[in-house]
Amino acid sequence: MLEPVKLANFFTVFFSAASVIMFGATYALLFAWSRIRDRPRLMPLAYAAYVGLFISVIVLALAANLFHNTFWTFIVLLMLIGYLVAPHAIWHLCVGTHADEHEGEANPIKVYQQR
Amino acid sequence: MAAIGISTATMNGGQKLAMKYFTVAIALFGAQVLFGMLAGLQYLYPDFLFGILDFSVNRMLHINAMVVWLLFGFIGSVYWMLEDESGVPVVGIGLGNLIFWIFTLAVVVVVLVYLLVQIGPGEQSSIWLINEGREYIEAPRWADIGIVVCVLAFFYNVTATFAKGKFTNIGGVLVMDLVALAGIYLAGMYYTPNISMDQHWWWWVIHLWVEATWEVLVGCLMAYGLIKTMGVRRKIVETWLYIEVALMFGSGILGLGHHYFWIGTPEYWFTIGGFFSALEPIPLVAMVVHAVFDAGHHKLKSTNNPALAWIIAQAFGNFFGAGVWGFMHTLPQINLYTHGTQWTASHGHLAFFGAYATMVIAFLYIALQKWRGDVYMSGNLNGAWKWKWAIFLLHAGMITMVMALLISGYEQSQIERAIEGSTWMGYFAGQSHRWFMQGMFWRQIGGWVFTAGFVLLAWDLLTIGKRETRPALQVQGE
Repeated sequence: MLEPVKLANFFTVFFSAASVIMFGATYALLFAWSRIRDRPRLMPLAYAAYVGLFISVIVLALAANLFHNTFWTFIVLLMLIGYLVAPHAIWHLCVGTHADEHEGEANPIKVYQQR
Repeated sequence: MAAIGISTATMNGGQKLAMKYFTVAIALFGAQVLFGMLAGLQYLYPDFLFGILDFSVNRMLHINAMVVWLLFGFIGSVYWMLEDESGVPVVGIGLGNLIFWIFTLAVVVVVLVYLLVQIGPGEQSSIWLINEGREYIEAPRWADIGIVVCVLAFFYNVTATFAKGKFTNIGGVLVMDLVALAGIYLAGMYYTPNISMDQHWWWWVIHLWVEATWEVLVGCLMAYGLIKTMGVRRKIVETWLYIEVALMFGSGILGLGHHYFWIGTPEYWFTIGGFFSALEPIPLVAMVVHAVFDAGHHKLKSTNNPALAWIIAQAFGNFFGAGVWGFMHTLPQINLYTHGTQWTASHGHLAFFGAYATMVIAFLYIALQKWRGDVYMSGNLNGAWKWKWAIFLLHAGMITMVMALLISGYEQSQIERAIEGSTWMGYFAGQSHRWFMQGMFWRQIGGWVFTAGFVLLAWDLLTIGKRETRPALQVQGE
């Protein structure tokens, strides 16, 4: 079930795998920052980071021969869907856990305004 | 004591005991740096100290010192917060003090034996008295048993104290984690002549200790640290502690599978290891989002700037060291070539420093603030250049080492593994290649920078807040 990476693809695998995590974090950071600072203009950048993540996952999958097997193809799909929805889910958790932090304040700050 | 700016009057029993643990921890941190530098020099000058202090001994001491100083740091940190969290004095503090001295003495004896008996036959007696011969957990069997006894006594202190006082959520997670901390270490004492089975259990200590019990312990320390330094509300940090523990256990326990790829275990570990390794970065991404949320919310206002800086360093160090550097080579299709090369060393250096050393150092600053009499440690702190330069030099040195090891590991994975097919000749071809040696040279340069950072850190820890007369800023964290 394993098809080892070709020598010529070593660097591509390392670089694309690192890019998956880096773009994942950039997407999550921009997503959170856009909402916490109420800057909708940042949101397209967040999704641009996700596009970077998407491309990185596909490049990784091609270089690491992941599409040659059903299980590894499933892992690729899991990564694409998981990293897309994770920042949304985590954001809702953040809002939920901070929801009653300023109970009773006359003007709660925007951070608590869930969209 | 007040004359030299030290005030133990406001410290409770657990905190006084914690200071002892912290003192030994920082001394062992120094030992880790020293033996690491010697081992690094031996890559460049193989004859250096040959027959006097061999590479195998230096490397063993470098890694063992790291494990033990972090353990001392964690135990000290837990004692530090124990009375604060539970609301009652530490139960069995006398036992805690006794165990501290026994543990410290045992560490000294083990190190002396490592240094004095570097070579000899491998017999039952040497396993029990000198060296167990298992990488990273070389401590002889008597010391193994001693470690478990010490952790059990520590467990008693913590559990009995929480049972007598109030059981906070941080306390509950901590107690459950300590059960695993003591229990999983036992797996490393199981002996079998079958190397696959031996490695199977050995990884329980190496992986599950680090990626499960230590991560959770650090999560508890982080939760307390955020309450104390930034005034984040307890309800929030405790909720997040549960979320992160669930995510970490959900992905980290079976993430163990990525260590089972090449040790002779069944093929299904490729599936399990690959699947859970792909999930492992998710808790780290979750922490990044939550860190941004809290940073934006609290505007980085803190009672203790050095501690907060190290806590922030922990969030990023954990993300890059464990997340990015781990995922780069975790899938079996590429791990086939990188497993056990300097690539792993690069990942290990950044992950251990980023995830654990940073957190213990943050706690040292939290402790020192109170030790100095709850003095001011926020913006415009006297002599702040020292902690700022220390954090810069330690990170600059670490990043240089990590990048240099990465280049050497990349070369090894190509020459030794892919081209030469992991043969004995391939091993030497990889080790003598110009890229490998250049990586080792730059690793040593990074090591010197890191050493300078450590010296500055030690100086700062000895002097910070000494001439400070302003009281600490107050935050509400409950």
